[in-house]
Amino acid sequence: LCRGGLAERLCRLQNRERSAISFWRHQCISDDKTPSDKSGVLIVKILEIFEECTIQVAICQQLEQSPVTLSPEDAVINAEEPILKVLFARETAAHLKSRPQDVIHIYPPWQKLLLRNADVPVIMNTYFSQKVLLSERSEAREKTYGLTKTLIRKNIISLAQTFRLDDLDDKLHQEPSDNQVACAPQLHNQGDSKQHPLALGAVNDSLLDMVESQGAVGWREVQVRVVIQRVYCLPAREGYRSHTQGNKPLCATPSMNSDPPNARLCLLVQDAYGMFSEVWLQSLSSTDGIEQYCRRWEGKSCCLAGMKILQRTTRGRALGLFSLIDSLWPPVVPLKVPGQSQDSEMMTTNLPPPSFCYILTAQSGEIHVEVDEEEQISNLYQPPAVHGLKEILRIDGCNERCSFWAQVVYQRLQTKQNVPVDQRDILLFVTDSTLQNVVHGIPKVVAVSVTASCVLSMEIREALSAGSQLVFFKDALWGNGRIICVERTVLLLQKPLLCLAAGADLSKLTGPVRLDELDSTTQANSICALRGTVVGVNESTAFSWPTCDRCGNGKLELCPQDRELLYCNQCSEVVTTPVLKMQLEVFLSCPGRSQSTVKVKVWHEITLFVLLTMLLFLQTYEVQSVLGKEVGLLNCYVHSVTSHPNCVVLEEIVLL
Amino acid sequence: STLPAVAEELLREIKKAFQESSHVPDDLLLGLKFIFGPSAVPALDLVDQRSVTRVVAPSGRTLYQVLGSSGKLYTCYSSCHFCTCPAFGFSVLQKSESLLCKHILAVYLSQAMGACQELSVSEEQLSNILLAEEEDEG
Repeated sequence: LCRGGLAERLCRLQNRERSAISFWRHQCISDDKTPSDKSGVLIVKILEIFEECTIQVAICQQLEQSPVTLSPEDAVINAEEPILKVLFARETAAHLKSRPQDVIHIYPPWQKLLLRNADVPVIMNTYFSQKVLLSERSEAREKTYGLTKTLIRKNIISLAQTFRLDDLDDKLHQEPSDNQVACAPQLHNQGDSKQHPLALGAVNDSLLDMVESQGAVGWREVQVRVVIQRVYCLPAREGYRSHTQGNKPLCATPSMNSDPPNARLCLLVQDAYGMFSEVWLQSLSSTDGIEQYCRRWEGKSCCLAGMKILQRTTRGRALGLFSLIDSLWPPVVPLKVPGQSQDSEMMTTNLPPPSFCYILTAQSGEIHVEVDEEEQISNLYQPPAVHGLKEILRIDGCNERCSFWAQVVYQRLQTKQNVPVDQRDILLFVTDSTLQNVVHGIPKVVAVSVTASCVLSMEIREALSAGSQLVFFKDALWGNGRIICVERTVLLLQKPLLCLAAGADLSKLTGPVRLDELDSTTQANSICALRGTVVGVNESTAFSWPTCDRCGNGKLELCPQDRELLYCNQCSEVVTTPVLKMQLEVFLSCPGRSQSTVKVKVWHEITLFVLLTMLLFLQTYEVQSVLGKEVGLLNCYVHSVTSHPNCVVLEEIVLL
Repeated sequence: STLPAVAEELLREIKKAFQESSHVPDDLLLGLKFIFGPSAVPALDLVDQRSVTRVVAPSGRTLYQVLGSSGKLYTCYSSCHFCTCPAFGFSVLQKSESLLCKHILAVYLSQAMGACQELSVSEEQLSNILLAEEEDEG
């Protein structure tokens, strides 16, 4: 069941109800009286019973007082007493074994429903019902009745009788399905609104007002003015299928289409009363342009119209969203107070952070978000607070959003083969001047884990693969000693215009990147520098192999047409200039970890030009010639660190 | 018959409450449970998961497709109560034990709460969906 959904709520209510029912039944058995002086108890006399779909419908007369106090003559049907239709659930009916003329006490909570075209009210949720026995004579009659099975008429319901949920105003006419969303960054509703005329009314400034007064079916006429605090992309999830383009009927299981929009542009907005809302805009097929949206929209005011509520989420259910909201709390300007005049404002230093947030989306494929790009940045806007990495590592809390500017020195992709490249986790090793310039005590380089839920633009991916990059990490998450990039984190190549910068430009490195040397504190999945003396070589694992110079594919095949040539089946082309990779595992003795066996996989890429030289080397290669040789300073990625046996396994890497 | 009118009114109340406050009060949820019994919770779950799609052809003919929890897609008619799921055939048609199956109830609840996905198809595609169901039955 969906957490926080309606089904889960009903389950809980139902369990509570069931406990209440069994508790009540227990009480009735032990407590033989039928107290009818309690308020809320409905006293009815059954006139007629029939059954519809396991529900027992009893046409009853409502009695003023308990008939126990009346004489048998008075218990005759009085035509003036109101008639009710009482419904009993199957289990209640079985318990009651009602017959016409029986008197039933119905204890609260029960519900009354008035039907539109009928005079007779309907009573339901009648679980707490009890039959009243009039006298000893009735008891005897009861027993005889119990022996003969009375047949109750069963009505068969026609399938043709459907339910009409609409009132006088008709259903909204069917919108055409093709996405009405504009693709350009401007999302104005400019004049081509003939099909969907929006009579936009006054601009309101409260999200909550709008939500409560309009509900989910239509906000078409009203606009809400809000401030865009953050712009980011969320991965498009399977559960929320966006409008599919006309042609394919929905007859297959809903796996992602072959060319789906895989990210959705979203805004985190805040109104003048401090309430936040996440607005889901159109799906993006390529996430390029996210930088542009951030730059042009963050901090600006905008008007939302034609929205509907997708979800109302709370702190417990959406930790990621609320960690971002918390980073924007308390607000930097006084908030308006609902109910008071527009001019009076209250200081918000003591207000607790919000506990709920509405997620909104477009009503019908059309997005109406008008951003005042020309306008100034709003006072309510809180730009990301930029800190040096040293300061971030010292943060006390958990799940804190943090922003920083750092140099990416090495990138490592998760190696799961059956996961598409853009959904793999990436480990980025970053540093800045606050880490590089310190002598000891804190690491020189920090690992930042980028999960698949953090949407990266192609631009960033390509840039990271191309070389060392200066990247702005906006709203990354710090917790448990790690920095992770999750949903709502944005990686940007250019610094946003407005940032609370902490002092000098911390990202500028004054020299080449230095890594910590291998020592007893080194952990797995980190990078370090090492030096040592060769004490052994793993001859069995020494080999070389050609790789494709375009894609790095190490499994080249012989060309079917010409068995002299190599063929790469990932690029589907002949490889004319393969890159030769050589792998060698050496055992080192390192001063930083003298007790450990240090095994380093060393490999070098060699192009064909130096191949001849290397071949010569391989032919004359002798283990003796390398023993005792000094190695260092090598940059390495630490695969594993084990204590029993005391061993560190590393792989030589090349920094970006 | 009484029950359909009661069910209809209950669904209308839910729609009204939802339109006014985007929230369904507890007593209406319990009312759903009372009237529709074991179908109520599964139907709400289908609504939570946005499993209902209204499929419309240019002529205006509509039907509903509901993605069941098993991953199977069921078709519900809009002009009468009918669903291609086995529970409908058994509980509603054969035993007359239920008014609706959970899929039809999910369709109504999705209508009431504006949670229907929309899909426009051609006349031919709509016919294909209907005929495809026939093939499965056969």
